[in-house]
Amino acid sequence: MSGAAPALSVRRLRKAFGAVVAVDEVSLDAAPGEFLSLLGPSGCGKSTLLRMIAGLVEPDGGQVVLAGEDITRVAVHRRNLGLVFQSYALFPHMTVLENVAFGLRRRGVAEPELGPRVERMLELVRLGPLGARYPRELSGGQQQRVALARALVTEPRVLLLDEPLSNLDALLRDEMRVELKRLQERLGTTMIFVTHDQAEALILSDRVVVMERGRVEQVGRPEEVYRRPATPFVARFLGRANFLTGTVAGSEADRTVVALEGGSLSIVAGPRPGLTAGQVVHAVIRQESIRFEPPGAEAGPNHFAATIVFHAFAGQAHHYVIQLANGRELEVAAPGAALPLARGAQTFVAWRPDDVVLLPGGEPGPGGPR
Amino acid sequence: MRHGSGWWLLAPALLLLLAAFVLPVGLMVPMSVRPYVPLVGITDGFTVRYYTRLLTDSYYLEIIGRTLALGFTVTLSTLLIGYPVAFFLARTRSRWRNWLTILIVFPLMLNLVVRTFGWIALLAQNGLVNQALHALGLVDSPVKLLFNFAGLLIAMTHIFLPFMVLVLIGAIQNIPRDVEDAARVLGASWGSTFCRVTLPLSAPGILSGSILVFVLSISALVTPRLLGGPTYQVMSTLIFDEFLQRLNWPAGSAQALLLTIMVLTLVYLSGRLARRTGAGA
Repeated sequence: MSGAAPALSVRRLRKAFGAVVAVDEVSLDAAPGEFLSLLGPSGCGKSTLLRMIAGLVEPDGGQVVLAGEDITRVAVHRRNLGLVFQSYALFPHMTVLENVAFGLRRRGVAEPELGPRVERMLELVRLGPLGARYPRELSGGQQQRVALARALVTEPRVLLLDEPLSNLDALLRDEMRVELKRLQERLGTTMIFVTHDQAEALILSDRVVVMERGRVEQVGRPEEVYRRPATPFVARFLGRANFLTGTVAGSEADRTVVALEGGSLSIVAGPRPGLTAGQVVHAVIRQESIRFEPPGAEAGPNHFAATIVFHAFAGQAHHYVIQLANGRELEVAAPGAALPLARGAQTFVAWRPDDVVLLPGGEPGPGGPR
Repeated sequence: MRHGSGWWLLAPALLLLLAAFVLPVGLMVPMSVRPYVPLVGITDGFTVRYYTRLLTDSYYLEIIGRTLALGFTVTLSTLLIGYPVAFFLARTRSRWRNWLTILIVFPLMLNLVVRTFGWIALLAQNGLVNQALHALGLVDSPVKLLFNFAGLLIAMTHIFLPFMVLVLIGAIQNIPRDVEDAARVLGASWGSTFCRVTLPLSAPGILSGSILVFVLSISALVTPRLLGGPTYQVMSTLIFDEFLQRLNWPAGSAQALLLTIMVLTLVYLSGRLARRTGAGA
């Protein structure tokens, strides 16, 4: 992160609904112009957090700081933020033009200035000729573009987006993702984006905040949270991963050896200071990190004989379930262009030690992938 | 599926409407143009005198005007009193909400005559209202609240309030909260959000509630008869007297037809208004 003052800071923000703690002492910073995603399953508190930033939900404790100014007690309509809803929330009794002009009119922008600003914003979201239509006469994608234009035209200090793409069908969603990202790069608006879709968060974000049960599990760049998950939850929630439980057999300068449960196999991971021999750990291996080896290949670390027990083709990838000699099953994703291996085939698999993430086994290991 | 195959579902309702409404109203049309001769009865012949009398005689014009004025003021006062109540009930998360809604409906479970007599007890010269006003020193002599416009307005507002509230609750509940939140985030204060978003979006409910209360109040018979007495007439009591006391069925038919036409015109016009303002979007 740059040294610039954050555009938006959340300090130990907390909200409980009855006995349920929705947001539990969450602190975050968003740098100016950053695209920050709040990612988590439904009910993890991400939407409540966003609504507290917007001022629609009153926090029980903590602060919301916007460009250095504490706005925790500032009324919703004086915060000068933008919010885009999953339901679009357009004004059904107003035309597209009136919808987009709404925020400017509330700010007392004079009519001669207002017209061109609305027109320009509609051009930007490629809705130029549809200004006179009513929302009900537009498709879902067009409605969401109106909602974006309506929020952006007031030049909000931060744009908040609450699962804005979830109501769109898959194709349109992909299209809108690209459009949203380009819009953000062009306008340089700081955006806080709530989603439960990990692919969406990875594609769009500068940084991802993974949340679970009202707490922040990990904050990092998309590659970081994907490749170096800090907790089993993050590993499970972002992409598919294999979990192998074992104990640390040896921790050396250049590698860590983990003896798997059952004792017959051990795997090698990268150096991981701080782990002591005998400690229980979970080894996380992404399904695409595992590759198939030709029978004659030289056996490096993490080289195992395996049997194919399941195969399915999914276009971009082949999905396999393989079984190791100790009976343990692993999920493997191989490039879709590769020749498929038949069910029951004997083969070898291998993965690089650097692709193994070791998580201290404080909590009970999950039964398998997701 | 065959296009329009659902039309037969309307058949029972249409048949009922035909037998109980279109047919009797249709029968009144020939009746209204036959001359009535006192002591003889309804005679053969053709006359439009009941219509011309209705539309020119100041006695009848006053009754028509009074009926319309009563309808409009009752509608307006139920709307003004009912909207805040409906807004509260539609939005509250209180666990008392269902009980409060039942409380709104509760008066409807009491017999209309009983409720009207209750108002007589309250509004009479030495009734509770006047006693209270006198005790508070607000008036020296009793205020006349019976057999006039004020009494009818008060009682009918009370009687038709539940209809307005129930229709409005439904309409206000249908307004998505996100839309109001969007307005507030965009810089609209609570009041501005209410005026520019909530109120326009509850227009369909306001319109249907108003039509309902207006039609009910200009056709109400029991309350105007009991609270207006024999002299303070509205159209429904006039029609009642014409048919059952003076036995002048042709005159009664003409008056009843005029009332029907007034109601249908109003419903038609408000439908046009709803389409024009885009309410029901």
